[in-house]
Amino acid sequence: MNENIYIPKLAKIIKIKEEVSGSRSIKTFRTQFVEKNGFSHQCGQSAMLSVLGKGESMISISSSPLEKDFLQFSILKMGRVTSALHETEVGEIIGIRGPYGNNFPIENWKGKNLIFIGGGIGLAPIWSVLQTALKKKDDYGKLTLIYGARTSKDLVFKEELEKLNKKMKVHLSVDVEEKDWKEYVGFVPQNVTDKKPSPDNSISITCGPPIMIKFVIKALEELGFKDEQIYTTVENKMKCGIGKCGRCNIGKHYVCKDGPVYSWAKLKTLPQEY
Amino acid sequence: MEKILTKKSFPAWVKKLQSYTVYAPEKQENLWSYEVIQNPDKLNLEHLNTVQAPKKITFPQREVFLQFNTSKEGKPQIKEVLPKEQPTVIFGVRPCDAKAITLTDKVFGEEPKDPYYWSRRNQTTLVGLTCNTPPSDNCFCLSVGGSPHAKEGLDILMTDMDDKYHLDSLSKKGEKLIKAAENLFKPVSPKEKKELEKIHRESEKKIKREVKDIKNIPDKLKNMFNSPFWDEEAMSCIRCGICTYLCPTCYCFDITDELTSTLPLNGKRVRTWDTCQFPDFTMHSSGHNPRPDKASRLRQRILHKFQYHVENYQDYLCTGCGRCISLCPMGIDIIEILNKVRDHE
Ligand SMILES: Cc1cc2nc3c(=O)[nH]c(=O)nc-3n(C[C@H](O)[C@H](O)[C@H](O)COP(=O)(O)OP(=O)(O)OC[C@H]3O[C@@H](n4cnc5c(N)ncnc54)[C@H](O)[C@@H]3O)c2cc1C
Ligand code: SF4
Ligand code: SF4
Ligand code: FES
Repeated sequence: MNENIYIPKLAKIIKIKEEVSGSRSIKTFRTQFVEKNGFSHQCGQSAMLSVLGKGESMISISSSPLEKDFLQFSILKMGRVTSALHETEVGEIIGIRGPYGNNFPIENWKGKNLIFIGGGIGLAPIWSVLQTALKKKDDYGKLTLIYGARTSKDLVFKEELEKLNKKMKVHLSVDVEEKDWKEYVGFVPQNVTDKKPSPDNSISITCGPPIMIKFVIKALEELGFKDEQIYTTVENKMKCGIGKCGRCNIGKHYVCKDGPVYSWAKLKTLPQEY
Repeated sequence: MEKILTKKSFPAWVKKLQSYTVYAPEKQENLWSYEVIQNPDKLNLEHLNTVQAPKKITFPQREVFLQFNTSKEGKPQIKEVLPKEQPTVIFGVRPCDAKAITLTDKVFGEEPKDPYYWSRRNQTTLVGLTCNTPPSDNCFCLSVGGSPHAKEGLDILMTDMDDKYHLDSLSKKGEKLIKAAENLFKPVSPKEKKELEKIHRESEKKIKREVKDIKNIPDKLKNMFNSPFWDEEAMSCIRCGICTYLCPTCYCFDITDELTSTLPLNGKRVRTWDTCQFPDFTMHSSGHNPRPDKASRLRQRILHKFQYHVENYQDYLCTGCGRCISLCPMGIDIIEILNKVRDHE
């Protein structure tokens, strides 16, 4: 019998960083497997994280595949499993199985300008592509990030974003007016319309809440982006991760294996149920 | 290999299968249920449709995936728990229920394979029974490519011929069962063969219900995703989930952790049946739900069975057993729904 796909591998938490505090708390975790194994991922893939006794949650791998020393996850505290993860400390052991899903076709994007568009925790799934593109900067054209959250406190990767400013164009936004906020005020889709990224030789990569994605796609279409130039991820509720438990489907697609990465050209052809 | 077995010798055959756990339908308070047979002398194969299909044996409602605890040093440990080795025979399997098992075989057999499913499945021998008369008023196997004497998925097909059974052995697993008591079986005479063919022909004529023009249904459904039809059809549904839990082809499941103690940590991760008819099947933690109402969930049940599964596996995810019709407390009828789809503008 092949390896049992449902058995997680044990991994140690080696670093925890609080990105956002308060009721919508976000923490970034770095993990290392207790025993060496063949785990190797691509940009856009996710893993099932377990807290034994609490259950499993699907989380995007936010570190670049070029990073061999650890796997990184940024997690918004929501319910059972994610709250339990937030209570862990450095040195504790969690379970990881995967990686799952398809990936961003970054090999096909060489020589193109990449426009990353994220909302809230939605920066996590695109972070691995962004980091990979930065590490191989010569392979790509101009890199741009348009990223926003409810308030400035809800932005993730704040330290990294500051450093990023020197390497690529970064446009931040918050939903409502704040004291001392010098950048854009408004929703992410509005900021996209405001910054007018050019569709010429460009690919846009969008992740965030379903409602934000819908409006960003609309804004991009208005700017002249073709369906094939728009990429996004779909995050349906998942349990198995391998197309068997039946819950994550959009039409005949199981998002856990046929997604989560979709071009708008492809996603458009599926029933609009996500 | 075809054989004849007298009904009188049937218990003697079953008694020879000591190395197997033997299941067969048993009547319990007027309902039929697959149970482990303790006394082969009481065995008879005159059952109507069992409430639960033999799916409950090949894909149990709850099964343990793994156990976890903390070691003396305080480290979490995980132990894989595979089903125990136990060859199993199921007697009296209706052809539609056998076909249903072949459908789940495909889903759990696709890479990566499901180790729990296959460890049970590989140990299971399916002995079918021709439906000389339909075991339910709502049988419609003929519409979905089956028949009351279909062999697909079976290791042996038995046909009741009054005081004897005709047996058609269809696989190595089937041969092995017959070899366990070879002297009980007789060759089939040409007269018996004729009689068998007649029974099989007649059995088809007794199927009363039908989905019309089913070949066009998948394409038809593609254009009905946004139709108000689904709201109308789902109106009376009380979302009990019976239609899916008792369907032999439904395989959706949940994975959850069950704790025996927290300090020290001790518990199990289990798989349980789940259903697309419950709201939290697809509801995100944020409250967002891609299928927020009864209409979208009924649509999912019908489209999964008659469009998506056809697109992915070139087969309907329905074998026409009629359970979802007979057992729905609100009388929601999949045949009527499909016939309305056919006539939908
Ligand atoms: C492909 C993918 C990538 C994701 N990446 C991230 C990420 O990088 N960071 C992050 O914070 N969140 C991410 N999520 C969302 C995350 O999986 C859910 O927030 C999380 O599972 C909620 O679990 P819980 O136990 O805390 O909540 P509960 O509400 O207690 O959920 C119980 C169970 O339901 C399931 N579940 C509930 N909501 C979701 C959901 N939206 N998606 C999938 N399963 C769900 C899980 O199996 C969970 O164990 C991702 C989801 C998907 C599908
Ligand atoms: S059995 Fe009937 S009432 Fe119950 S969920 Fe199914 S369709 Fe609805
Ligand atoms: S959908 Fe209904 S008729 Fe078809 S196999 Fe399932 S329970 Fe039987
Ligand atoms: S998560 Fe189970 S089918 Fe996708």
